Amino acid sequence: MSNNSTISSVYSYIPALSDPFVQITTVVLVLFFTILIAKGITIYLQRSLNDKMDKEHLNILIKSIYYGAIVIAVVGVIFPYLQINTSGLLVAGGVVGIVLGFASQSIMGNLISGVFLMIERPIKIGDQVNIDNKMGFVEDIKIISTIIRTYDGLFIRLPNETVFTTSITNYVANLTRRFEYVVGIRYSDDADEAIKIIKDIIDKEPFALVNPGPSVFVDTLGDNAVNIIVRIWAPVKQWYDMKTRLLWIIKRTLEENGIEIAFPQRTVWFASELNTRKMPDISETGYDK
Amino acid sequence: MFEIYHPPFTTEAEDTEIIVEKQGDDLIYKRLFRGDEERELVLLNNDGDIIINPIEPVNLPESITAFLMVDFKRSAMIRPGDKKKIYLKFPVEIGVFVTDKSRKNYEVIDVFTLNKIKYTLYGSHTQGMICRHWESDIYTEEPDTDNLYEGFIELEISNESNHQMEITKAIFNAYGMKLYFGDKRLGMKASMRIINKLLAETDFSTYPTTSRFKRSMELYTARKLAITSTKGIMEFGT
Repeated sequence: MSNNSTISSVYSYIPALSDPFVQITTVVLVLFFTILIAKGITIYLQRSLNDKMDKEHLNILIKSIYYGAIVIAVVGVIFPYLQINTSGLLVAGGVVGIVLGFASQSIMGNLISGVFLMIERPIKIGDQVNIDNKMGFVEDIKIISTIIRTYDGLFIRLPNETVFTTSITNYVANLTRRFEYVVGIRYSDDADEAIKIIKDIIDKEPFALVNPGPSVFVDTLGDNAVNIIVRIWAPVKQWYDMKTRLLWIIKRTLEENGIEIAFPQRTVWFASELNTRKMPDISETGYDK
Repeated sequence: MFEIYHPPFTTEAEDTEIIVEKQGDDLIYKRLFRGDEERELVLLNNDGDIIINPIEPVNLPESITAFLMVDFKRSAMIRPGDKKKIYLKFPVEIGVFVTDKSRKNYEVIDVFTLNKIKYTLYGSHTQGMICRHWESDIYTEEPDTDNLYEGFIELEISNESNHQMEITKAIFNAYGMKLYFGDKRLGMKASMRIINKLLAETDFSTYPTTSRFKRSMELYTARKLAITSTKGIMEFGT
């Protein structure tokens, strides 16, 4: 069969354009199936993304897909079918697009960054983060901006473009976090005993994880102290409370066991013996009265 | 200690004392440890009973996970296709419940334990899970336990893989735990299905280890339309 005959046989199935009834029926059918398919896609997306996205963003995404599908069907299928010349529309749309593009460049940048943030999800609402040297809790991730509540209660609105293009430190993205102390004890104290005491304290602490385990060891022989490093892993929500509490318990327990925390001291040796003179007792001079 | 009490009453176990006093229509609940008050509550307009029960051991000092990891002191080997029943010990947490007169509605008012509490990470820092940690030896028959401190898990292990498997730990989900207790003992019945080198699944049986045992009250109850799984999925190896 030749090519011409194939095309003519395909055209034979397409309804005659001159018949207005057939035209209207076809347009209605195209619209009906487009809406049906778009509805199906949006229901599927709503079900599958319900737990992964917040409601506001999901609604925006679903509406964009739904109306986008209808616009594509109208411009891409119905207009050519009705032999409506869309070239004029395209030129006008292009001009309007350029004007709008220049006017809303930063908004579009933020919008696209917002969409990518929702896909990549480096942060979630409630996370503790450091974005562009702004530290605090993520209060909201909107389509254009992200809201941070700093630790001292300030409200910071960061454009999504900044959030997306800068480095983000998420303090609670992982399950666990490690913190560290440097405990300096005197040279005269028993470092092995100090390590044992610190390990016992950690062992009694429920949220000091068994695995990954803690490490306690002599790190440096400093100018004034033997420095013991204490490293502890904790669940991410409990680490700060533990960090602020444990150091004082370690200090107090060491001191109760006769191990002192060292402080800077300097012993001075003189090359030749100094001529010293004994001062009279202050009570004898009467100056104390 | 695991009984239904009608207030006022006082009960003591080891260094912990529970006192419930009547004050008009109200109840005053106190828990003391070595004479020091650890918890005090006023139960307003309450004429119900107090139930003290063992509960799922994942609540203290605060609830951060629903998983209990039993770390084996000695590891166990099982042949491919083999099935074997072993016994493990698990820690006991004690729940104090207040009920209404019909005893159909109950609410937990206090949780305590006489054991040391530790937590651990199972799996990776990003994909793993935090679990309550407990170390147990492996027993081939029911071990002797003190029901204030420990219970036992009757664990049936089946190796469905084609390899000889070494088992060093078992993870249990509190949502599936069914605790049963008698006068002196406390037990759970569970199974572990080893699927391959990295994947195993644990689940609990709804039957007691001994028919004389009573079912304990649960804090973690999975709904019928189970959104929350009741199984312990071990996807980072056994």
